[in-house]
Amino acid sequence: MLALPMFARAQENAGAPAVTFGGFGTIGAVHSGQRHADFTASPLTPAQAGYTRAWSMDVDSRLGAQLTLNADKQWSAVVQVVSERTVDGNFHPHVEWANVKYQATPDLSVRLGRIALPAFLAADYRKASYALPWVRPPVELYGSLPVSNSDGVDTSYRWNAAGIRNETQLLYGRTRVAITNESSAEARGVASISNVATRGDLSVRVTAMTAEIRTDLAQDFFGALGQFGSSGAALAAQYGLDAKRISAYSAGFNYDPGNWFLMGEAARVNARSMLGDRKAWYLSGGYRFGAFTPYLTYSSVGLNMAATSPGIPTAGLPPAMAAQAAMLNAELGRQLKMIGVQRSTSAGLRWDFASGYALKLQYDHVLPREGSQGTLINVQPGFQSGKSFGVYSAVVDFVF
Amino acid sequence: MLMLKTLCLLFGLLLAFAVNAAELVVIVSARSAVTTLRTEQVAELFLAETARFPDGSEATAVDLMLGDPQRDEFYLKVARRTPALMKAYWTKRIFTGRGQPPRELPNSLAVRKLVAENPGMIGYVDRSALDASVRPVLVVH
Repeated sequence: MLALPMFARAQENAGAPAVTFGGFGTIGAVHSGQRHADFTASPLTPAQAGYTRAWSMDVDSRLGAQLTLNADKQWSAVVQVVSERTVDGNFHPHVEWANVKYQATPDLSVRLGRIALPAFLAADYRKASYALPWVRPPVELYGSLPVSNSDGVDTSYRWNAAGIRNETQLLYGRTRVAITNESSAEARGVASISNVATRGDLSVRVTAMTAEIRTDLAQDFFGALGQFGSSGAALAAQYGLDAKRISAYSAGFNYDPGNWFLMGEAARVNARSMLGDRKAWYLSGGYRFGAFTPYLTYSSVGLNMAATSPGIPTAGLPPAMAAQAAMLNAELGRQLKMIGVQRSTSAGLRWDFASGYALKLQYDHVLPREGSQGTLINVQPGFQSGKSFGVYSAVVDFVF
Repeated sequence: MLMLKTLCLLFGLLLAFAVNAAELVVIVSARSAVTTLRTEQVAELFLAETARFPDGSEATAVDLMLGDPQRDEFYLKVARRTPALMKAYWTKRIFTGRGQPPRELPNSLAVRKLVAENPGMIGYVDRSALDASVRPVLVVH
């Protein structure tokens, strides 16, 4: 015990090994005016605001803890555990990241382990909601690619050119996500390149990402489709989920001179399957009056593909097979309706009422369009696309 | 007349106090090769957006404690960020594994001592804490 302070002092000059513990969290309640479906922030954290509950605590509530070990100037390690609503409907914590970092030079670093995916502007800190101006990242864009980490390796390099600071990140890995209680999907060969360019108060991030999806989800359905001759096989190949290469491109900017901010982002996520080929964008701005930051956001997601399919031609089929084909066609149509087309306009207020705490109130005016269910889940009979509804959210974010 | 004099004196005192309170100076070791820095360059170092001085040598920033009024003033003037915005900034950096905030020291004298001993370090102190062991590279306005 006595040797401990001496040890600490001896290390101080040599670049002190230090363990730091920190965390973040959000407690919030959400009310959705759409009573025939549930509103959720992400399909991977299915919440219950709207149909299931009048006020739902599970849309944004979350707790995260992070342990960082800085061994010396070069080596560090980080573990982050997050508890949020899972597809099983509980809040069992999961390891969000666990990686070891080697800082080769002040400009070049390499990480190995579970690493945040840099898909969008705020993708790698979206769970630490305190760092966001809003209650949650715009669901239209961030819901298009809800996966937040991958297991593998990445490298970041900082460089300067023409007065612009750049940080370029290359990542390679794989990940597995639970989609429903029984089904999961694996993304193999996740590869991404991302660059953040900063000049003065403006920063711009562009990212390209690709991965191959492996999943047993809806296997029976596509198997049945494939049995209907060449047209059935063609549909199974077009909309099948397994062994498809998903690609995502995004570009976003953030201008923040201190008193106000303006940020926007556009992305295309093409799953080359029943999960759709989507384009999404948003624009958001806010003004800071002391501790109060009112903000406005407009956000949209649309399709880069036909939202309907003629399905298997039933003409000429024996009655029993025609009936089965009609059933499969109806299911295909229903699945394609699940690819959300939606617009929303949001107004909110952030209040930094104490150090490390922010209260946020937000109203979203949401419009699922083109016969789709938008970003809603758990859709019930009686749901009507094309009818707008309001979402009221109140959350407290904190960091420690 | 007396009243006017008193007022002038009071005003003078107030002005002196205001000037004094505003005098924060960014320092490096007297042994460092760095002679002057621009506000943006200082901001980049304290926000860990770069880990090098403009001449390419390695740089490590040291800070005053969280909640210190001089620290709040420093970031407001250098990075145009309120304490809440700084907290949000470090939340982004820490919880993306992109870095840790600068090491914190209790006061200007401790900052001066550590910076004087380490040519790779940069800090900021009250002007009254300046001495020959350190070199001012920017007066914070």
